[in-house]
Formats: sequence, C-alpha cells, structure tokens
Amino acid sequence: MYGYQGKILRVNLTTGKISEEKIDEEFAKKWLGTRGFGIHFLLKEIDPKVEPFSPENKLIFATGPLTGTTAPTGGRYMVITKSPLTGYIAMANSGGFFGAELKFAGWDAIIFEGKAEHPVYLYINDDQVELRDASHIWGKVVSETEKILTEEVGDKKVQIASIGPAGENLVRFAAVMNNGHRAAGRGGVGAVMGSKNLKAVVVRGHKKVEIADRAKFMSVVKEKIEKLKNDPVAGGGLPKYGTAVLVNIINQNGLYPTRNFQDSQFEYAEEQSGEALASKYLVKNKPCFACPIGCGRVTRHPAVGVTEGPEYESTWALGAHLGINDLASIVIANHLCDEYGLDTISTGGTLATAMELYEKGLIKPEELGDAPPLRFGNTEVLHYYIEKLTFREGFGDKLAEGGYRLAEMHNGVEYFMGVKKQELPAYDPRGAEGHGLGYATNNRGGCHIKNYMISPEILGYPYKMDPHDISDDKVKMLIVFQDLTAVIDAAGLCVFTTFGLGADDYRDMLNAALGWDLTTEEYLKIGERIWNAERLFNLKAGLEPLKEDSLPKRLVGEPVKDGPNKGHVVRLKEMLPRYYSLRGWAGDGKIPEEKIKELGLEEYV
Amino acid sequence: MVRVKFFATLRSIAGKREVEIKGVKTVGELLEKLYAEFGEEFKNEIEERRMILVNGKNIDHLNGLDTELSDGDIVSIFPPAGGG
Repeated sequence: MYGYQGKILRVNLTTGKISEEKIDEEFAKKWLGTRGFGIHFLLKEIDPKVEPFSPENKLIFATGPLTGTTAPTGGRYMVITKSPLTGYIAMANSGGFFGAELKFAGWDAIIFEGKAEHPVYLYINDDQVELRDASHIWGKVVSETEKILTEEVGDKKVQIASIGPAGENLVRFAAVMNNGHRAAGRGGVGAVMGSKNLKAVVVRGHKKVEIADRAKFMSVVKEKIEKLKNDPVAGGGLPKYGTAVLVNIINQNGLYPTRNFQDSQFEYAEEQSGEALASKYLVKNKPCFACPIGCGRVTRHPAVGVTEGPEYESTWALGAHLGINDLASIVIANHLCDEYGLDTISTGGTLATAMELYEKGLIKPEELGDAPPLRFGNTEVLHYYIEKLTFREGFGDKLAEGGYRLAEMHNGVEYFMGVKKQELPAYDPRGAEGHGLGYATNNRGGCHIKNYMISPEILGYPYKMDPHDISDDKVKMLIVFQDLTAVIDAAGLCVFTTFGLGADDYRDMLNAALGWDLTTEEYLKIGERIWNAERLFNLKAGLEPLKEDSLPKRLVGEPVKDGPNKGHVVRLKEMLPRYYSLRGWAGDGKIPEEKIKELGLEEYV
Repeated sequence: MVRVKFFATLRSIAGKREVEIKGVKTVGELLEKLYAEFGEEFKNEIEERRMILVNGKNIDHLNGLDTELSDGDIVSIFPPAGGG
C-alpha cells in the first residue's frame, strides 16, 4: 500500500497493553485518512452515548495518506473523539511537525482507550513503543512539557503532542498542542486526553512514506506548489500578513462580531489588524511541515518573549468579541492560551457569554467577589480569567464548563452565541447566510473551518457569491465545501490550500501518491461518506436535528443594527429544509436508509 | 469627495492609509485616478483580483466598476487576501 504505513497502534491505558493492527487498501479507499479513520473506529468501538470523560470514550490521533509527503502542507494530523463540549463528534486538526513524524515512525494512527491509573506519556521511536510515567510533568505548561520531554528522551528531533494544565483540569474546551503553538483546538479533545491521564505523545520516526509513482508525484507536487506560490492569496496575502489580514476585511464588510455579536463592526478593529500586528510585533513567518504558504506568525512581546500568533480567530475571540482593543493584551492572552492548552475561540466565546450575562444582570457582581468585573472592554478580564478557568479556581470553575453551560447556570441560554454547545467563530453570519447554514449544520457545532463559505460569500473564491442570496446554488456550494473539506482533511492537507487549488488538484496528488485512479467525484463521495458518518454518530448520540441544527436566537431574530448588513438576519428556516433535501436526508434531518446504503454505511447503523 | 481606504500591501505601495478624492463619478473613474497617482505597482496589485467596497458593500453586487459614487462615500480597497 502506498501513501500509508498500513499500521495502526492501539494503546490500552487501563491495562498498559500496546498492540498493532493492519489496515488494507479497501479500508483506505473507503475512509481515506484522519477524520475518516477516526469516525470509522468511533462508530465501531464506542457507544455514541458514552460519557466523554469516561474510560469508555476513545481518543484517536490519525494522519492522512499525504501526511509526511512533499505534497504542499502535507504535515497534518487530527484528533478525533467524542467531545465533552458538544456531546457529539470532535475532529480537531493541527499542523506543525507532529503528524509527519508519527507517519515517519511507521504509524497511520493511534487509538487510545481506557484510562491510565497515574499520569503517563507515550513514547514512540519507530517500532519501540512504551508508556512512561509522566507524574513529574503533570501540571507543566506546554513549552515546559516539550522542553523536559525532549531532554528526557535525549533526541532533539522528537515531536511532541501534549496537553497543558487546561486539559489536565478537564476544561471542556482544552486543546491538544504541538510545536508550542499549534493546536488541535476545538471541541475539547485536550480534556479527553486529560481524562485519560495521558499527558503527551512523543514521537521519533526514521521511515519513509512510500509513493506509488515517485516521478509523477514529484511533478504533480511541483505543479501544485507553483500554483500556490503564484496565487495572490496563498502566495501573497497569507504569507505577508497571516490570517489576521482578515480583521480589517471582515470588519469593513460588516460581519466582525463585536461584544458577543451585539454589534457587527468593531470601532477599534484597525488597532488589532494583521497590518498592526505586522508593524508592531511580527518577527518572521513560520511555515508548518512541507508548507509553501507559511501563514504562521512568530511574534515578540516584552511580557512573554518570542511567541506565535495571534491568528485571526484568536485576535477576534480575545479582542473584539470582548470589546477589548489592546493588541498587546491580546498577544499575551493568546500566548497564555497556548501555554495552558486552551482553544482560543471557545475561551473568548465563553468570556463573551460571561460578559453579556454580567451586563444583563444575570451574573451578579457578588458572585465574582474581588475578581475583575466582567465588563465588555475591561482588559483586566483577559489574563485573570484565562488563568482562573484553566485551574478551575473561583468563578473560573464555571467558565471552564464553556459558554453554554455557564449561560444555562445563569438562566441566560439566549446569550450563548454558539451551536451545539460550541462557541461560534469570528464571522457574523447575518452578513453571509451560507456561512450561517454551515454553522447550523456543522457536525462539530459552531465551527467555520469545515465549511468555509466566507470564501465564496465574502472573499470571492472560487468565485464571488452574493452573501445574502439563499438559493439552491448557495446550499449546493455549502455541501460541496463540506464534502471537499472532509477530503482535504482526510488527505492530511491544510484547507488553506483551497485558496489556490481546486478539487481536481487534490485528486491529482492523491492518485499519483497512492497509485489509485479515482475521479474527483469519487473523492468527493468519500468526503460525503465521512460527513454522513459523523452525522450518524451525532444522531446516535442523541442529536435532535430540528432543534439543534440551529443558530442562536440573536442571529435569526435580531436584525443587524448598523453597517453594510443593517436589517439582515440569517434566513435559516428557509435554507435548512433544502439543505436536508439536497443532502438526500429526510425532512426531519435524519439519514434515510437509501443514503446509508449508497454510502456503504449499513454496518455502522 | 470620497474617502478611499487602503489595506494590507496597498498601504505600503501608496505610502498612506487613506486619501480623499474629488471629481469622480464611478468606481472605474476612481481607480483610473488612483492608478495615475500611485503608479504601476498599485495597479498590478489589484488589477487581476481585489475587493472593493463602497460603504461596506462589495461592488460585485452593485454595479461593478460602473457603481456610482456620491459625496461622503467610503471606498475600501483590498488586494487579494484570505485567511480563516
């Protein structure tokens, strides 16, 4: 089998048993990799109704067939588990260098099951695989963890995925971190890792990834890299300003959510823009493994030294979402989130929920005691509560539960701006309705990256669509985006390649590497299978589609107050039935038997 | 008079963040004036792909380069950019 190592590692943390399993080409053609592999194993091996923090939940690290190859951005891995935030599927993606190293060690995926009695880490050096004591690093922040473990194993070339204190303390939106600042961020995958007493995975590999037709693959890859380098976004805007170039763009277009989506333009956006970051704190770009784009930002601030980011999403979540304009505080807060192992979007989203609950009088000042008041714009809030929630101290214990549970405790669920209990990212969908439909139907809840309709609706890629159009063309485009993103994820590539590449380009690279002869449609079918299998998992976990494929009341009921999208709401009710129908689903949002059969999912029902 | 805001690379090319321009009736006319003032590099940066907003609305959904401008309008011009 080309592209794959053909082997999966299974680690039972309860018994300490480590075993290996083979995968074959039939399996690979059905699920491709990363989240495809993940959803297969979760559907086969766990009860979707399982308590996410129980030993019965499983935690899967998986690569794709192009991970560890020279394909542009071919270094990604995903962490797949049942989310403690949403109660549904979590599939969090990360770059850096960990994914490629896991592949070089000869493994396509690792399945962790059970729960260790005391803190452990997994050490992998090709076929040498051991569980080792991690008591001495439990409690350490991410950078220290990486430093100590690198010294301990005595090999500077190891790659490490680990959790910080947030994951250990079961903060429901804790991330798995690698290379200091790369995060498998969303859905609380780091908290599941913490619940298993697994502090880190340390990997060193010396093997190759075999390619079916190396000469052909090299020429295909060369062509795609050229395409990316010549693309004005992937080869221009992204390397120059990083993702934060979007701050001004999205703000000027009137969909930059401000003060928990109460406003859609932030008066201080300019001060926290990619342009401002570049002029004040940027040291250099930093690409992930095999990446010709290099959107990563190495930055420096006197308070924290050399750090990375913040990315667009983090800038917003820790800035405009909280009414905070001070870029320096945002840079430091972002650094803290990386060190503690927190998802920045949900951290900001939870704080924004708290601030609105405070503003509306549902969180009373006496509940906070001497802690800083949770007022929008109060910069003091940032660092104080990020620390408190990480360690679950004082009011931080409630914040650690995420925005939805916090709002529920305070009788203010309508002020939680999220979907399926996961906090929304940095686009007000009242200014991009297809993106809103994406939020509502995303398998992992409030998330932009699995169906980035901002691309056609605002940025104009692959072509410009009217953000307020809700025709079938828009709905169909969303479905293609969802399925294609699943293919790109499963291949082990970064979605940022979509600025310069189209569906056929991914087909070319996969076919050359794997020696397959699949059509673009056949790859998209794999994407559709993955999407539906994840949906099936959610349905089995108890998803009530008509109630939960939804958006916060504000976004469907309160028109935008001002700016270019003034007067608009998301017309979700008009889009959702057509989405179900175009997906081949029933009117109640469930997957009918014929669709299950068409996608070969019968054995998972 | 319209206010024209530049973003990203356009700022370093133009050497400023915004300008005020008089006597242009459409976005097309405005661009010609900007090309004349800021030269080839400016033109090259946005000729092929770009985003132009008039009061926050993309001209692709107004009248394109024929979109009319009135006194007090704010025009925002971005080179090709993306993120996530």
